[in-house]
Amino acid sequence: MATPSESAPFKRRSLFKVAGLGAAGAAGLPLAACAGIESDGGSTQESEGFDFLPDHEEWPLPVQPDLVGEPPHHPSAFTSYPDPAQAVTDLPSGTGTYEITVPCWGAAPAQDDPYFATLADSWGGTVLKLRQGDGMTYGDTAVQWIKADEYGDGIALFNWMTGSFGNFRETVVNSFYDLSEIVEGDIADRWPLLAAIPSAAWGQAVFSKDPDDPETAGIYGIPMNYSGGQGNGILARTDLLEAEGLAMPTTVEELLEVCRAWSDDANGRWAFAGLDWFLGQWFGLGGIDGWNWDPEQKKMINNIELPEFTELMEFRRTLWDEKLIHPDAPTGTLDAAAMQMAGQVMFTQDNLVRWNDYNLLVKKGEAEGAVAPLPPLAAKGRTPIVPVSAGIGGWTFLNKGLSKEQVEEILDVANWTAAPYGTTEWELLNYGVEGTHFEMDADGNPAYTAVGSEVVQNPVNLKAFACQVDTFLTGDPDMVAARFEYNASIKEYFVEPPFQGIRIEAPAEAKAAGTTLWDQQQDVAYGRAELSSIPEMVETYMKNGGEVAREYYTEAYKNVYGDE
Amino acid sequence: MATLQSTAPPDTDDAPRPPVVRRKRTVVQRLRHDWPLLLLALPVVAHLMVFHYWPSAWNIIAFMDYSPYRPFWENPFVGFAWFARVFNDPYFAPALLNTLKFSVLNLLFMFPLSIVLALAMNSIISLKVRSTFQSVVYLPHFFSWVLVVTVFVQVLGADGLVSNWIMGSGGERLNFTSNPDTFLLLVWMQWAWKDAGWGMIIFLAALASINPSLYEAAASDGAGRWRRMWHITLPGIRPVIILLLILQIGGILTVGFEQYQLQRQAVGYQATEVLDTYVYYQSIIGNQGESFGTAAGLFKGVIGLILILVSNNIAHRLGEQGIYQKS
Repeated sequence: MATPSESAPFKRRSLFKVAGLGAAGAAGLPLAACAGIESDGGSTQESEGFDFLPDHEEWPLPVQPDLVGEPPHHPSAFTSYPDPAQAVTDLPSGTGTYEITVPCWGAAPAQDDPYFATLADSWGGTVLKLRQGDGMTYGDTAVQWIKADEYGDGIALFNWMTGSFGNFRETVVNSFYDLSEIVEGDIADRWPLLAAIPSAAWGQAVFSKDPDDPETAGIYGIPMNYSGGQGNGILARTDLLEAEGLAMPTTVEELLEVCRAWSDDANGRWAFAGLDWFLGQWFGLGGIDGWNWDPEQKKMINNIELPEFTELMEFRRTLWDEKLIHPDAPTGTLDAAAMQMAGQVMFTQDNLVRWNDYNLLVKKGEAEGAVAPLPPLAAKGRTPIVPVSAGIGGWTFLNKGLSKEQVEEILDVANWTAAPYGTTEWELLNYGVEGTHFEMDADGNPAYTAVGSEVVQNPVNLKAFACQVDTFLTGDPDMVAARFEYNASIKEYFVEPPFQGIRIEAPAEAKAAGTTLWDQQQDVAYGRAELSSIPEMVETYMKNGGEVAREYYTEAYKNVYGDE
Repeated sequence: MATLQSTAPPDTDDAPRPPVVRRKRTVVQRLRHDWPLLLLALPVVAHLMVFHYWPSAWNIIAFMDYSPYRPFWENPFVGFAWFARVFNDPYFAPALLNTLKFSVLNLLFMFPLSIVLALAMNSIISLKVRSTFQSVVYLPHFFSWVLVVTVFVQVLGADGLVSNWIMGSGGERLNFTSNPDTFLLLVWMQWAWKDAGWGMIIFLAALASINPSLYEAAASDGAGRWRRMWHITLPGIRPVIILLLILQIGGILTVGFEQYQLQRQAVGYQATEVLDTYVYYQSIIGNQGESFGTAAGLFKGVIGLILILVSNNIAHRLGEQGIYQKS
């Protein structure tokens, strides 16, 4: 996989190059397939080199981490719980009530829980009512909410949800409040914590009204946490492996052998309940939206054009043909986590947060066994890769219909929520009220009560409302140590895809072709189409939007990195 | 004695009455006279205006390069460019064919099933049996498609009740709910369970309107059960059958959405993609935009209208009433 050897510093000049390309894409010329249709082009947005970002002002951390890593991909960690200090001493007096739409996976917490009232009191009285949207469909539904202006006064969007939008940049600059005038320059007096969050985070909240004119760029959202490293992984039930005398696999071939040894279709036992979106890296397939620069051909090549993609599909098909994956996996409706907990499946593809959560359940006696992530794997003796991108998790956008005073009041709250670990603000936001939502255990660490898990721990609430001044690995000391060690062990395999720090959106035509391509991959993986249909699948994708995307990404790459 | 009768009009004292000339009423007078009727019609008209005619006017965006983020009048007209994109899309024709396939299946095997059910129910004499039968066949109509699909997966899925029973008996795992080759049968079974009972309601109403003395007369003339059905029952409900058939033909490109969308992952897009899911996946999920989806939807609507007009015309030619009385 081709990865830029060094991230080229973004100069204002290159901004113009990229901006020019963005305009070409936005104009759909010459990329749009149908004459006259110009609205479905892609867009390119850089995030550095702006003179209207807030002036960065350091905010001294009240406590220092116990384990020092190499942030952002290998974050530092706390294995002990410090005495929290108050971060915001000069509390504003807020009187407004606002509605903020946030995603929620699982049951939404009751809004009359003391957690929310205590939060409002603590940050100065402003009331933020949460409109909890179903996390499973949030990205797609948010598109319609925003178009209809039915999301209240603000909406939280994670960056992986932007793919649901035809043109995310256009949506943002037309729907949300331009914060530039309010947060530009020195804001440390009123919002010292917002001034202390990384400038790179603010830069990633910049969007341009006209991609051709850098002067139209502005800050349109409050950035969420800035972080890096590996977010997802394959979790294995290590206790079940040990019980069968099986070792944790270290290569794709070993993984397949473990799957064969453990699965027993007739007796309702399978290695996987689903495996589709994580495994690309096992076959060396990374890149930006599947595109990588080929220095020899001097153009972008999609993963599906590489022989490794066929290997990947063969692997998926083997899982299906040999009954190593649940027979109802194609329905996409299985609760893999519950099945793993019940010992019906060995591996799940998941966010690594579940590694932490599962083992905490075990500690509380609510689950059995143990889970741990697979190490980076590769096939055919290749070196494993772990694609990582440093960046913000998303944005909280505010409705453009708000007044300046209302926005400033909400930013007061954002400043409060930006308080880092080791502060009373962080503790209240992330653990709730002591005695109600958490208790201190014998080792002096906070532990959620049943209500705390339901109201504070599981829902997103306002925990992602704004970027914190700094982020760390925190929580159960054993799990923190394990996660820190895991990150240290995989950092040698980190690779950064191209376009770091640049937000690039493919033209709509390419996105539509990608939807069908995904369906076709599922067909092959689940035995509804033959492996021999892959070349035809690739050809169809390229013809119906893939070549448009190639042209777009190639031009973007050349503008940013040159053509070497 | 023969008498001659005069053909002249009899003399009367009354002068011939002049034709009644009604004075034309003003709009205000008519409003004053008819306001209760107009008031009754108002909600329906308002509903039609707000939810049908006004949205229909927005079909114009199928001819524009529409973006919701600029003033409407600034969206440029692009003629039939979106239609060209829809028709050139390699996935449009398969979706259209699938839609037609499901529609024909519905017409051939679901429509008659409702008639058969209605006839069967009509022949049940015991009120108790009849009401039980009625409840059993009506109830599934009120289940959501999510529930229907879930029940089928739980019963007929690869890890479902039947499959596990077969495996327990030494057989192979059942591959029915995720098999594209048997999807047509699966769809028909789901329709039959969910909607066949509901579909018979109108036929039952039509059956109730047949004069019972016709049956008595036919029976006393020696007509058996089948003859009575052929010569009395079916002709009696024929206008209703024709009416529903025309409406069904008009909606031939509308076969539903949820049922196919919910089973798309399990069975694959090639077997499940119909026009409605195509529009959703291409314009919403695939981000082709509002104009693309509207163009595809407008195509569907125009074809439906043409089919209704043609089939209604055929009905008139065959002497049937159709969906409206020919003047």
